[in-house]
This record gives sequence, C-alpha cells and structure tokens, in this order.
Amino acid sequence: MKAVYLAVAIAEAALMAPLLIRVAAGPTICDRVVALNAMSTQAAIAVLLFAAFAGRTIYCDVALWLSSFSYLGAIVWSRYLERELL
Amino acid sequence: MIEIIVIALAAAGWAFSLSGAVGILRMPDVYCRIQCSSKMITMGALPVLIALVVGEGPVSVFGSRALLVAVLLLVVNPVASHALARAAYKTGVPMWPGAVADQVADRARRRRAATGASPAPPELPGPARSAGGGQ
Repeated sequence: MKAVYLAVAIAEAALMAPLLIRVAAGPTICDRVVALNAMSTQAAIAVLLFAAFAGRTIYCDVALWLSSFSYLGAIVWSRYLERELL
Repeated sequence: MIEIIVIALAAAGWAFSLSGAVGILRMPDVYCRIQCSSKMITMGALPVLIALVVGEGPVSVFGSRALLVAVLLLVVNPVASHALARAAYKTGVPMWPGAVADQVADRARRRRAATGASPAPPELPGPARSAGGGQ
C-alpha cells in the first residue's frame, strides 16, 4: 500500500511539468495564474500522498496550507487584474 | 481488495489529471484553459484523495486530512475559477476566433441598444419610486 502511495505521489508531481510549460509560455497573466492554481493543487495532493507514504503527519498541514492558499492567491490575482491595478 | 480499489481510484484520478494538464497545455484560449483546470481539480484531485481515504480509513490521521482537503477543494475551486474567468473577461483577454457565443457581450449590446433607442424606460422607475416615497 505504501508503494502505491509513493507511485501516485510521483505521478501527480510529474504532471506539474506540462503546467510549468504553460506558466512559462502563457500569453496573458490569466493563463499563468490558471496553470499555477492547478500546479499548487497537484503539489498539495503529492505532498499528502507522500506524507501517507512516509508516515509523517506534519506534512499533512503543508497540504492543507497549499490547497487553501492557492485559492487565496487566485482570488487576489483576479481582484488585482479586475481593478486594473496591474 | 482495498488495495485494488485504491489503485483503481488513483488511476482514474491520474488519468483525469493528465487530460486536464494536456488541456491546459493545448487549449487555444484562456477560458477553455480555465474549464480544463476546473475539471482537473474536480475530477482529477478528488478520486485520488478518496483513494487515500479508502486506503487509510476516514478517521485515521491521513484519511481525515485528505477528506478535509477534498472538501476544501470542492468548495473553493469553483470560486477561484469564476473569479479568474471574470477577471480575464473584464481585462479584455481575447477569445479564440472559433468561439461561437459571447452572451455577456450580447447582453451588454442589447442593453446599450435599448437605452439608445428609447431613453424613457430606464428613467421610469426613478420618478415612480420618488413619488412613492413622497406619499
């Protein structure tokens, strides 16, 4: 079961590579923010599965903070974009 | 048995995540990319977290955290997608040339045409409300 968790964590983290290409090549800021939002969700899942693999409960809080603050980051970016402060 | 369920759920979630990542990379438009990102989180992240819940049990340390992250993502991700799409539309990010409908622009154009053709209907509620307040 632990090996399954590690394999899924590595596979989910590997999906951040195409999103990173979109972050680098996105024509507008919105493209980059969308890709960053998806990337942070993937990172949260990978961290949670790695915590289950390694048996370290302290990494669970990292996943919680990543998933909640990626949302906050997207909201803040969109507010700045919408009021044309950027 | 539990391991088979965990592997099946994780594989389904990973397949959806892969399709979402390819969609974010390949879609022609920021709005299509927002749609792919939202599908990626709803259909790709939740099965993996449910797999962790099934594998560890819902009252264990990792299972409860996975459930918490799943609920958080399910509540929070549509809000972020909506705010991003709204910001992209308001800052004038161009649509893909093959797009067939822009209902927000149609509505704004219709409202502008209505006010330009006959300025009386928008002003009608104002005097009526002030008259009602005077009485």
